[in-house]
Amino acid sequence: MSKPTTDNGAPLRTLKSIGVAAKHVERPKKEREAQQILARAGREKLTVLPVGGATTIAAGTLPERVDIVLDMTGMAGVAAFDMSNLNMTVLSGTTLDGINEFLAGQGKGFFFPLDPPFSDRATIGGVYASNGSGPSRLRYGTMRDQSLGVRGIDAGGGEVGFGGKTVKNVSGYDLTKFLIGSAGSLCLITAINLRVYPLPGASSVCEVTFQKLEEVEKFLQALRSSVLIPSGVVVEPGKGGFRILAAFEGHPLAVERENKDLLAMAGNLGGKGEAKMGRDVMRHEVKGAIEADGDAMAIKVTVPISEGPRALAKLADLAGGAKTVLFAGNGVLLVYGADERIIEGAKALASHGYVVPLRLHRSLLSKWGPRVDATLEQFVLRPIKEKLDPASVFPPIL
Amino acid sequence: MDKEQVRDALRRIVGKDNVLWKDVDVVVYSYDAGLAKGRADLVAFVENSDQVAQIVSLLYREGIRYVARGAGTNLTGGTVLMDGGVVIEFSRMNHILEIDIENERVVVEPGIYNLAVQNALAEKGYYYAPDPASQKACSMGGNFGENAGGPHCLKYGVTSNHVLGAEIVLPNGQKTWIGGKALDPPGPDLMGLLVGSEGTLGIVTKIVCRIMRSPERVITMLAIFNSVEAAGQTVSDIIAEGIIPATLEIMDNVVIRAVEDSMHAGFPLDAEAVLLIELDGLTNGMDEQAKRITEVCEKDGATSYRLAKDANERNSLWAGRRGAFGAVARVRPAYLVCDATVPRTQLPKALSEVKRISKKYRLPIGNVFHAGDGNLHPLIMFDDRDADELARVHKAGNEIMKVCANLGGTISGEHGIGSQKLSGMSLVFKKGDIGMMRGIKEAMDPKGLCNPGKVIPKEEARP
Repeated sequence: MSKPTTDNGAPLRTLKSIGVAAKHVERPKKEREAQQILARAGREKLTVLPVGGATTIAAGTLPERVDIVLDMTGMAGVAAFDMSNLNMTVLSGTTLDGINEFLAGQGKGFFFPLDPPFSDRATIGGVYASNGSGPSRLRYGTMRDQSLGVRGIDAGGGEVGFGGKTVKNVSGYDLTKFLIGSAGSLCLITAINLRVYPLPGASSVCEVTFQKLEEVEKFLQALRSSVLIPSGVVVEPGKGGFRILAAFEGHPLAVERENKDLLAMAGNLGGKGEAKMGRDVMRHEVKGAIEADGDAMAIKVTVPISEGPRALAKLADLAGGAKTVLFAGNGVLLVYGADERIIEGAKALASHGYVVPLRLHRSLLSKWGPRVDATLEQFVLRPIKEKLDPASVFPPIL
Repeated sequence: MDKEQVRDALRRIVGKDNVLWKDVDVVVYSYDAGLAKGRADLVAFVENSDQVAQIVSLLYREGIRYVARGAGTNLTGGTVLMDGGVVIEFSRMNHILEIDIENERVVVEPGIYNLAVQNALAEKGYYYAPDPASQKACSMGGNFGENAGGPHCLKYGVTSNHVLGAEIVLPNGQKTWIGGKALDPPGPDLMGLLVGSEGTLGIVTKIVCRIMRSPERVITMLAIFNSVEAAGQTVSDIIAEGIIPATLEIMDNVVIRAVEDSMHAGFPLDAEAVLLIELDGLTNGMDEQAKRITEVCEKDGATSYRLAKDANERNSLWAGRRGAFGAVARVRPAYLVCDATVPRTQLPKALSEVKRISKKYRLPIGNVFHAGDGNLHPLIMFDDRDADELARVHKAGNEIMKVCANLGGTISGEHGIGSQKLSGMSLVFKKGDIGMMRGIKEAMDPKGLCNPGKVIPKEEARP
């Protein structure tokens, strides 16, 4: 199983490149080691920043200075795989590609469906902590839908665990879900129980192009109101038009029908395209459409579904030549090469949605302003942070 | 404030005729569909979220306990005030505020019944996936509080997978929104925390849900087995084939008989167990999947199987399944529904243990459950006028929870902890886990007034 290569200097350089001064890196390989580091941090009043592949490092609140960077890529691997019950336990430093390489080799073949950008570097703990996602959330949802349980270490160095391995579980507060998106501000996540799926009988990707935005809107509306069930739909502006990728998975007869119907639908609305069969092709095409320079500043913008295409066109205008992409059917957009002007434009655009930094220099984050509603900040998030991390060992909560 | 002063203050908020205060009127709010009995001092019927915020502000200021109540179908005492207080009653906040097809969302008030939402969406070719068996009588606010499931949650997930936003009145009376029509609000997943928190962290006053296009085709199949364990094994074997049906539901002979006596749904009386299987999705490939399923059923010893030939037969089978809890009243006057969950492959073992417990405590237990999710619902039937029998019921319920926890499962799959399962929390959580939950409760509800005494046990869990 592949693991990312790393050296102790890499996390420090990454943080420095976004304006965070860090003193020291620890790379625990076992939960016990991480517990000891956090217990020491609590005693000595040190601040700790957990980091995985650093692909969405700015999703939380980045402190100006960090005493200990906790490089979680040392805690990688599959702790348990239950083929019959379709679940697995993975250590939080495991990359998404690592998880899928492992699953593909088991029995008849399995997969974990979430596909955020940079799956070769993005760790499952990072995806969980930043609520990361990719186009396949259209069918499979996000970590909220795919996480069954978590293990972690609290701010005092104590071991905690929530959820379990069953799909249905309402025993106690659902902290498995609550900690998603918390960006390491409340608890260090060390392992996650995930749902997994049997590899489908067939996979395909349909690529269609349209010249006009209105055609894209009509096509996406027709697709949404049809009975077709794409795994993900990506739209990206290109030279003189828009390129749309629609991924399908399932029974071979269903996928064949979906390809045919989708291409016919596109043709009726002025588009043209082709279907390509095969899981590797599908994954490769989608990955290529949603990724850009991994070191680029990036933001996520979310809007109501029907506003997605217009938001894409406006953001692409704002971004000039920088990569901008829409996960259609979800109203989620990624903008690479984000700067202050683009961020302000995105905020104005997402008046019914949200703008979330993914990778951003701290100088831009410090000008961002409030990221959550003042009532929630005052009466929910801040009191919870003070209860669970009174010594502020972990990074600030939003 | 004394009771009369609180009553008058509530009347000023919701109107004179919308407050119950006489013992004879409030007594029906001292219990729900579970076994817990408590006490309600006052009941206020609310019509909008401003009234809810004003009431909660008043109660917060005065230090008075309260609970939000929808239809009271809760099975673990979740809507019962154990030591008195005010019931905030939502049955009049029962409107669909918006069906937004373009954005695939529905916005509802919490008092509306699940089935009313489903019916409104069906007219437009859409549906809301969570479909608890009690959908005719349970409210969306209650579904939110309990993170309700239902038969179709095997493929599509439970309430928390379909709620995207909510207007909330916090325990101090502040009103705010979490999430909305757009996805991914920044920060920790507060919606994931609130759904299933049993109304202990705030009160939901509007809910934004995801809706889905109705499938092109549905196939409903019924497989008949000579043992409930064989039916349980078949569930695992179907999923091992790589097929994830929309539903996989099992009923045993005790329940089949009760259902047939009650409504003649079409289940064979001589079957030890039936497995109700439903496939949905695109037409293409579905017949092939149904054929593979019948092969698995044959291999696992199904004595026969049939496909529902039309919508009437399908509806009849589902009416039987959904009416099972009510039907067992023909066997004994009361029942306790256990709601523990096990990994699917442990179902045969769990079912054998339920049989053993039934014999040990001399209590009839029927099984009707969401087998695909491993979510058992042993129905322990008894006469609640018999104190000795009632004591044995509690012991049997606790033993079933313990068995399921030991098999790698959990103590509640979809009915919640309420006040009835507090003792079971230590079976699945350690002291630090419960400490973190308690920290959240104390942070959000520092006076401990919002549905007190639920979800989190007072005594510490195992170290």
